[in-house]
Amino acid sequence: MAQATASKPVEADDLKKFHFTREMMRGDVYRKYEKAINAIWNPRELDYSRDVEDWARIPTERADALLGLTVRFFAGEQAVAENLVPMLEAAWALERFDWLMYLSTFVMEECKHAEFFAQWHERVPRILEPDELAPYFIQREKTVDPTGRFELKEVVHEGLPRYAREVTAAVQTGDREQIERAFLRFLTLYNGHVEGVLTMPSYEIVVDTCTAWDALPALKQGYRRIMSDEGRHITFGTSAVRAILADHPDWEPVVHDVFDEFRGTIVGLVEYQKAVPELDLDKYQVGKVRHYRNRCREMGVTPDETLIEQILDPSIDFVVGVTAG
Amino acid sequence: MTSSKRKQFVCLEAGCDRVIEADSDEGLIEAVQKHVAEAHNSFELDEFILAGATEVDRQP
Repeated sequence: MAQATASKPVEADDLKKFHFTREMMRGDVYRKYEKAINAIWNPRELDYSRDVEDWARIPTERADALLGLTVRFFAGEQAVAENLVPMLEAAWALERFDWLMYLSTFVMEECKHAEFFAQWHERVPRILEPDELAPYFIQREKTVDPTGRFELKEVVHEGLPRYAREVTAAVQTGDREQIERAFLRFLTLYNGHVEGVLTMPSYEIVVDTCTAWDALPALKQGYRRIMSDEGRHITFGTSAVRAILADHPDWEPVVHDVFDEFRGTIVGLVEYQKAVPELDLDKYQVGKVRHYRNRCREMGVTPDETLIEQILDPSIDFVVGVTAG
Repeated sequence: MTSSKRKQFVCLEAGCDRVIEADSDEGLIEAVQKHVAEAHNSFELDEFILAGATEVDRQP
């Protein structure tokens, strides 16, 4: 087919109206957009009937322990969805239309993950209203490290909104370096720390629990679908961090400072890790190290070996979400 | 035609550092997932494998 040609002189302002280029469409971020579009799934199409049957036979104390995790995920998915707008603002301010396109799928997926938890909680344990869910929510900031070495901060419900406000404030200045720095901090916290390290073992714990109990197939399937989406989210964030650091290599300490602020949350065990006797506790701590080292590799930063040692230190065994001591 | 390059992924599980190679992205994903399942009773997401992969010269 012949290539279209036009003889009209090109105005510089007209060029700014078009963002698609062949190079952009060959890029990794655009690939993620295409994959996300091709991988759309619908929580309402999962079959929850077996989960309803299983729920009726699961002992109350086990069911309550599982709800401690699923309710926290439900709240977490809503919290991250609410804090995505600054990412879109930053992509717009940094003139990255490929980031903007991919982030449109990111926002939809986080909202859909929240919808999955709404569907599952409404259909299986039959709780959905805020006053029905809140009693199961584990207050992470109430966790106590008996050694006193680590401060436990609420990363999802306090840290992320605070970092998101920094991005919005930076975008309003119009200063590119301020925007890049604030976005670097947000991406590191959200995609690197929260999604990329902290949450991965929790997903695996739910999947492993469903497998060990031979129960709740819709919950297991939903978590697997969510994890697949999260794989794109996390690697988008870490690749964006790498891109920003390529322009500002002296900003690598900024990445470590973000992990350091929420060090206690990563070092401690994930809630529920001690609640299911069938689970191998060490597996999730060792796996956390793998996820941290993976994220550092993707971001192009040198891992903090002291953080790795602390994650693997068996004497540091306080459980995030459980008041220890 | 066979490419002169292979895909390589280093498993970063603590104490592992196993180097895994394959001729294609699909082959690498399959090989890494098999390793992580068998050696670590866990799994690695496809996107993590692709993001951590490098291209290396094919050994003669």
